[in-house]
Amino acid sequence: MKTCVTGPLLELNKAVPSFEESGLPPVPFNMRLMPGDCVFVDVYDISRATTFADVCSGLVPLESGNVQFMGLDWCRLKEKEINSLRGRIGRITKRRSWPDFIPVHMAIMLQQLHHTTVSQETLLFEASVLAEQFGLPGLPTVNPNMMSMMDLCRASCVRALLGKPQLLLLEEPMEGAPKELIDAFLRAVTRARDYGAGVVWLARGGSTMHRYYRQGVTSALRLTDNGLVTVRVG
Amino acid sequence: MSSEEIIDPVVIDETEQERTWLHFVVPLVLTCLALGFIAWVGISSYKATNEGALKLTRDLMEASQRYIGQEVGDYIMPVSAGDMVASNMLAYIPQQLRDKVFYSYCTTMLQKVPQLQSFYLANEQGDFILVTRAQQKNMFDHIQLVVKGDHRFFRHTLYDLQGNKIKEYEQSAGQYDPRKRPWYKDSAGAKGIKWANPFFFPADRQLVMTSSIRFHSDDGHTFVFAANISLNELSGYLGDIKIGHNGNAMIVDSEGRMIAARDMLIVPHLFSSRWAVGQKLTPESRLLSLNNHPIFSLGYDHYRVMGAGAGNITWKGKTYIVLSSKLEHSAGWVLLIIVPEKDFSSFARQSRWQSLKFVGIIIVFSTLLGGLFIRQLRRAERGLRVVAEQKTRMLSESTAVWHIAVAPNVFNPTVEPTVLTEQLVHVTQARRASLWRFLHDGTMMICEDSYDGAQNTHTGGFEVGRSELEQFFSAVEEGNVIEISQAASDERTIAFDRLVMREIGTSALSIYPIVSPQRVEGVLVLEDATPEPHQQYFMALVTAIASIRFLAQKQSEAQFSLQDKGTKKENGKEGNTLSSLQFDNLLMQASELDSVKGTKVYDSVAVLVITFSDPVVENTQDIMDLLELINRLAVDVKTIAEEKQLFAVELAGHRMICMAGCTAQPDLGAIVRVADAALKMREAFIRALSAADLEPVFAMGIDYGPAFGGRLGPEGHVFNLWGQTVSLAELMAESTSDPGIIQVTDRVYTVLRDQYLFRSRGTFFAPYLGIGRAYTLATRR
Repeated sequence: MKTCVTGPLLELNKAVPSFEESGLPPVPFNMRLMPGDCVFVDVYDISRATTFADVCSGLVPLESGNVQFMGLDWCRLKEKEINSLRGRIGRITKRRSWPDFIPVHMAIMLQQLHHTTVSQETLLFEASVLAEQFGLPGLPTVNPNMMSMMDLCRASCVRALLGKPQLLLLEEPMEGAPKELIDAFLRAVTRARDYGAGVVWLARGGSTMHRYYRQGVTSALRLTDNGLVTVRVG
Repeated sequence: MSSEEIIDPVVIDETEQERTWLHFVVPLVLTCLALGFIAWVGISSYKATNEGALKLTRDLMEASQRYIGQEVGDYIMPVSAGDMVASNMLAYIPQQLRDKVFYSYCTTMLQKVPQLQSFYLANEQGDFILVTRAQQKNMFDHIQLVVKGDHRFFRHTLYDLQGNKIKEYEQSAGQYDPRKRPWYKDSAGAKGIKWANPFFFPADRQLVMTSSIRFHSDDGHTFVFAANISLNELSGYLGDIKIGHNGNAMIVDSEGRMIAARDMLIVPHLFSSRWAVGQKLTPESRLLSLNNHPIFSLGYDHYRVMGAGAGNITWKGKTYIVLSSKLEHSAGWVLLIIVPEKDFSSFARQSRWQSLKFVGIIIVFSTLLGGLFIRQLRRAERGLRVVAEQKTRMLSESTAVWHIAVAPNVFNPTVEPTVLTEQLVHVTQARRASLWRFLHDGTMMICEDSYDGAQNTHTGGFEVGRSELEQFFSAVEEGNVIEISQAASDERTIAFDRLVMREIGTSALSIYPIVSPQRVEGVLVLEDATPEPHQQYFMALVTAIASIRFLAQKQSEAQFSLQDKGTKKENGKEGNTLSSLQFDNLLMQASELDSVKGTKVYDSVAVLVITFSDPVVENTQDIMDLLELINRLAVDVKTIAEEKQLFAVELAGHRMICMAGCTAQPDLGAIVRVADAALKMREAFIRALSAADLEPVFAMGIDYGPAFGGRLGPEGHVFNLWGQTVSLAELMAESTSDPGIIQVTDRVYTVLRDQYLFRSRGTFFAPYLGIGRAYTLATRR
């Protein structure tokens, strides 16, 4: 599989998502995200943000148009290639994503273990370093239901940034987090953009994090019933 | 989705299917096959028996029919044969001898053949002679019609068996003319023997029938020889023979009139009154019809349609077997035998019933055996399961003992006894296992460790007092094992249930006191456990280990208490004077620092790292205010450090490192002083920051353990400390969950849990450090 990182990292080209599968309006969505860019997408309903992130991840079937990630159309890839490509996406989602029956460190590494061939030892080390960066004494080994919400938020950051993802799909991240964690998170996002990752920041317009990261946003869009509409930055 | 909801349906289905197939379906199918085979054999046997019984029945009936036919033929034959013999004999003898021969022949025949009633001989001239049985027994009446002029009379001459004339008398004959009698007239023109209709003989009222034959004598006369045969004997014979249970036979003539039948014997009595007035048995009255003999009537109809042979008829819902045959030596007579079908099918029915009973019994027994077989299989399977469970349990216990045996520092009281509680839960299937230790001479009890198997969590450090649990304490101090199924209803454990158990909703309680040679040191508590009797040795093992730990803990605390008192006493003597600062990076230093020469390894150093984050400053005034605040904080830190007799406080940019216990001899009180200092500093920082209208911008981390450090630099003015303890303290400070938090390692928690309150943050993995726990220090108890 040959990927392209010189052109647009993520491109929605008149992509019309299936209304039955997603609930999104069946209108053409257009968006282009270059490496290192951060697109802020203003949403009024956070569940729509999750669905839109699914569209970007190739999880929602399209009625027409296409969604290309790293130059590859999700619809034209085979299952193995799709899985491999998804290993290059980091997500912080509002959807319930911590299974109760496995410890947090496994849940953090699960995405990379599934989508990539990186060894568990390497992932363990990288995750531990990230965990310390986000204010955890180490990589949590307890079950998610025994952790506080804020520590789970930290673990979400670790999971999203594990494996140096090329695309970060962030759904209203760090809402209500302490300043130290926000700082660490913004540092990590900036580092990711520095090495060429693109960021799709999905949040409500008035969210705290949006205000924090206003300066770092390269473009801003609004998810409406007519599709993505460009709005003024700042 | 909780782990309890995760089910692998494939595995369960396969196991269930295999068990169902092996223990239910296969035996059931085998039993059904066996039953089917038995039923098939039974039905085949039944069919064969039934067919055999029916064939035998038919053979029997045909044999009966032949026998009856033979008997009837034999009954009639003497008459027809006698007629032929007598007619030939009388036709060719001289006239003078004719009467004598007639008398001799007839007398002899009447003596030898009982069914013969009388003989007639008449000619066309009206001569008539008759031999019949007299009313007296063994007497024969020779009757001759005598005509003298107009006077006609019968001359009766009675003879006995020897031929002696006994009596002679005359009787008026009236207008009797033999040539007008039916037996005479009917023989005219007939070839061979002619049978007349039956009638009741006047002399003895027997039903008789006359056979007559016409012949011509040598002297040119025409004679009619007639013989009367009694049908009573034939009817009596038909009445005597037994055909099945309810079989009946009848002889009818070719026109369907009764000749002989069982009930013909009663006819004379029925008609006696009518006979007396001149009525007689008419052909119409003997004609078979549905009114007099419906079944025989139907049987005769069957004969007329189908001919001789066997057949079935139905009357009023019952089936009858009809056997009909034409009798030889008779005037076209037909023998009808009617038998209810059930008489002859009863054998077959009984045979069928026997077969069905036999098959039924075999099926019932087979079903019973099949059921027992399945039951036995299930019992065996249950037994195997129990054995397997016991084996698993034994393996589990062995594994638990092995885990305890290989656990490092299991007797070391500073290491948490997690392995003990975990293995207790594992072995006894308890919901929770906890180890409690008596404190302060038994006035308090502290939970050393409590492991919740369902949640897979360890907790501990909480205390309960004797005042709250007086009865529970007393029960434990008795030193006996107590098993309580409902702790909430037992007076000894009501309070314990309310305080401890209600939180997770357990009900059963098992109490194992931990006893040392001197006294009860604590108690092992299992909630909702199912301990087996043979597991007592494991409980004894765990309580013995816990006892050793508690004793060691007690000794350690005693030593610590003595040392603490000694240190305080020494400090008091020296008037708490500190040496002047010799190192430029230290905010505070203890007098012991003077004696530090070079670098050294310290075994029990308590390190407190405080990190500050930069507040936002916008102008010079803000910077001046901030510097003043920092200075105030530094003064507070120095004051507290001196108060808590820390070894040194080192400043490094945003970071402040407080240390204690850098002494040649291990300072067991160092960690306590550092913890106290941390609490005081936090209070002071928050107070100062809130006064400056700032958020808490600091975090603290504490670790306790070995470290190395000493003088650095050409003049030795720099004191510094390194090692994992310092790194961990820094990690704790940098990774607090919230600002203003004191986060400590599990080493600190283990030492201080009796004196401070902690909140667990969880278990974490760090590279090169392994898995450890982090706690938040809340306050002093």
